[in-house]
Amino acid sequence: MNEPTARLRRATHWVIGAYVGGALLHLGQVPLWVIVMACCGGLWALAAAHGRARLPGRIFKLSLTVALTGTVLAMFHTLNGLNAGSALLVLMGAIKLLEGRSRRDRLIVVGVAFYLLIAACLGSQELVRSPLYLLQAWVCCTALLFAAHPEAPMPPLMAARFSARSLALALPLALLLFALFPRLSGSFWSLGNDSSAQTGLSDTMSPGSISELGNSVDPVFRVWFAGALPPPQERYWRGPVLHDFDGYTWTRSHGAFYQAETLHFLGPEYRYQIRLEPDSTPWWPALDTVQSATARGTSITPDRQLVAYRPVHDAVTYSAVSHTATESRDVLSRIARRFDADYPRQRNPRSQALAARLRAAAPDVPAFVNSVLNLFRDGHFEYTLTPPLLDLNSVDDFLFNTRRGFCGHFASAFAMLMRAGGVPARVVTGYQGGEWNPIGGYLLIRRSDAHAWVEVWEDGRGWVRVDPTAVVAPERLRRGILDLLPGAGSVPERLLHQFSWLQQGHQAWDALNAWWSTQVVAYNYGSQLRLLDRLGFGDPGWQQLGWLLAAAVSVWLLVVGWQFGRLAPASGPDRLARAYLRLCARLARTGALRLAHQGPLAYAASIAGPSQPAQQARELLSLYAHLRYGRVAPSAAQLREFERRVSRWRPPRRRVRGSPGK
Amino acid sequence: MRAFLQRRMAAWIRRRQGPDRLPITLQRRRLYIVPTRTGVAFGALLFMMLIAGLNYANSLALLVTFLLAGLALVAMHACHRNLLGLGVLELSSQDSFAGEQAALQLRLTNSTAQARLGIELEPEGHSSVTCTAPANDATLVTLHIATPRRGAVPIGRLRIMTTWPFGLFRAWTWLHVAHDLTVYPRPAGHRPLPLAAGSRSGTAPRESGEADEWATLRPFRDGDSPRQVAWKAYARGAPLLVKEYTASGGAERLFEFAALAGLDTEQRLSQLSRWIVKSAADGERFGLSLPRQLFDLDYGQAHRQRCLRALALFGTEAPAGE
Repeated sequence: MNEPTARLRRATHWVIGAYVGGALLHLGQVPLWVIVMACCGGLWALAAAHGRARLPGRIFKLSLTVALTGTVLAMFHTLNGLNAGSALLVLMGAIKLLEGRSRRDRLIVVGVAFYLLIAACLGSQELVRSPLYLLQAWVCCTALLFAAHPEAPMPPLMAARFSARSLALALPLALLLFALFPRLSGSFWSLGNDSSAQTGLSDTMSPGSISELGNSVDPVFRVWFAGALPPPQERYWRGPVLHDFDGYTWTRSHGAFYQAETLHFLGPEYRYQIRLEPDSTPWWPALDTVQSATARGTSITPDRQLVAYRPVHDAVTYSAVSHTATESRDVLSRIARRFDADYPRQRNPRSQALAARLRAAAPDVPAFVNSVLNLFRDGHFEYTLTPPLLDLNSVDDFLFNTRRGFCGHFASAFAMLMRAGGVPARVVTGYQGGEWNPIGGYLLIRRSDAHAWVEVWEDGRGWVRVDPTAVVAPERLRRGILDLLPGAGSVPERLLHQFSWLQQGHQAWDALNAWWSTQVVAYNYGSQLRLLDRLGFGDPGWQQLGWLLAAAVSVWLLVVGWQFGRLAPASGPDRLARAYLRLCARLARTGALRLAHQGPLAYAASIAGPSQPAQQARELLSLYAHLRYGRVAPSAAQLREFERRVSRWRPPRRRVRGSPGK
Repeated sequence: MRAFLQRRMAAWIRRRQGPDRLPITLQRRRLYIVPTRTGVAFGALLFMMLIAGLNYANSLALLVTFLLAGLALVAMHACHRNLLGLGVLELSSQDSFAGEQAALQLRLTNSTAQARLGIELEPEGHSSVTCTAPANDATLVTLHIATPRRGAVPIGRLRIMTTWPFGLFRAWTWLHVAHDLTVYPRPAGHRPLPLAAGSRSGTAPRESGEADEWATLRPFRDGDSPRQVAWKAYARGAPLLVKEYTASGGAERLFEFAALAGLDTEQRLSQLSRWIVKSAADGERFGLSLPRQLFDLDYGQAHRQRCLRALALFGTEAPAGE
């Protein structure tokens, strides 16, 4: 095998590597068969490069193109979505790989690999994946180097080092542009979002539905408080409020029948910022009870939920102000009273009877609430995440039969009893608690913190939160679900919980993720303006952004230009020659002129005289000849020494007699 | 229109840079750089990435896009630097026959600690040659230029360019070196070799070889046959020398321009060229008689070259007495 063929083959290897790497980044985002096809294409091209296989003919490739496009269209019903587009790009890249071996074909495949990298970024911005993206960018650059110059005698290590160095030089510019390049506030077009975000809180609650959430420790959102944190027992994060009960399932009522009560916010004010992980629901959790929120595209409903107009599939950041205690002296509207005290009469007859009995015995609403809570406390109820199934009369079955359940069961039963006793009550779902991350300084709320509680209307006080779970399992409020139920969670999660050093590591990692998510992924025009503000620009706007960007890019260009220019040889005499010329000039002033044809040694020979300066001059000149023409290039120390000796040289009192050379 | 613009451009560059006298070091002032087609395509790709990143407000995609944009700018600097400071030490050529390719040799010097890869040399109107200039070293590059006509052929301008490293940008410079290729007339014609008056005749042409007595030693020049090198002398530490042979037993011939009746000037020159090539290869003594020029009977490479050059330049300039 001759050298050019070997080089061409190496270039092909890198191109195939870049393409397959780009395809592998889409593992899990496009169907598996697409990745398999990509790998097959890569192997085929590899075999063809080694002469073990022949590249397919045009008709085969054409029919393959049509067939694959049709398949993608049939699977995704569009070619426009992110996943469909990625799948198509991967497949077309494979066909291009089999297209041929020309320089242009290789360059196009590298271009496809670059775009696959961007598509992968669009698909997922997780921190753990970013090293992979960087690696892929590096491989693609090296592949581009080989594709552009397949014939160059360049060892792969050198090429890889060169592209790594280029990327390292490009990184400061990338960061500058990232910080200062103006962002859009909207979007040019919107593609159908086909990402499958994890489901969050639902707007229905049946017995058992919350336990599905309870077993996962995935983060839901993180909260940064501007001041003090609310005490643990007041960390209720409000989600959907459920009004309608059919005897088994609670649902959010349809239609805005509500009039908002006038609320008086009591107690300390909590200002905080929430970073919500991608969620497919429109309910944005907020600390109960939210007073105001700065979250675009949301509103606060009369029952104090923060609801987005549209479900958001990306991570969002918003800030809000809450008070944990409220009061309302209004009278509950008639409509609200009718809806929130309603219950199916034909279901749960025993509970209805029980409620009527307890209500009759209680002088007022607080007493009634207490008597029901006492019932829960003393009725041998057990908190468990694996409760038995309930029949259609779920409250009866739970209260009188199984007596085992978790927050959803208790909330459902409690609210039903309240309503049956004629007291307006509603079920609130959301999260309770949260894990304090000391490294990141935030509260992390996981899916396992999902919770349900009840609000009861008391005239003169308004809606009062009652958490029946807290009565049955008081530990649930103070500690996490993993403390309470050692069986909950998966094995690694339990291990994490048991070893504090593991937990610290995990918290550090989570803090890093949180930083990534809030500072990098969520970086937008608002962040840019805040940055300008911090840099001291008054009244920042996009003009200042533009000026700063231009200045920063210019500085970068200068630095990189200098970095490269430094490597080019200077056009004038170098350091050694400058010192030599200086010596010659000083000797010339003493009368010993160097003739144009004289080299340093001939010049030294022409300097006569036994005096010490003449002796030194001769030594210096021969030292110059040695440094300049010696076998080894002079070291920096030798250069410095020579310069010092030249500047220390003093002309003699009398003129050095120079005899002109031959 | 395009050709007109190119001519104007070439004239402008020529005026701007002035004539070049070797050796030269490529300085910033004479380096030009533009994106290649690949570079333009890469720019379009970056634009698509930017639009996608902005549209989805996807920070990571934007970061990667900006990283690649930075890479393109770094590539621009690297491409420029690949030529900056490159030295062109000397340019030499060997005489050729019309219809063959002349070898043009450039000695490039790279006084930096980094090798310069992908340096392309392209005489205008001819195909390019790609080479590498190793770090802190000089390198000799041979270009082949087709020479269809005899005479003194100016090489025109020479382009040194590079698309290193990523093929996104092309940097180049024009070199205007006054250098003529000497192109001998194409050897042709079927007339028999004439003998000089009074020479010994009937001797069969002999091949030059070991059997001949060699007359002189001259320094090695590129293109000399390795068989003629004085290897024994080289082994003793002498520089590379080439033996030139006498043709002790060969015929003596005189080639006369005037004697070739019935042929036009170019045909006559071709016939003379063929005779000289043949006679010199056989190691014979020969002379050449041209109108107003006479080369006495002699042998050897230098004589052959003198005669052929006279043929090459015949009629193109005032004959200079050799």
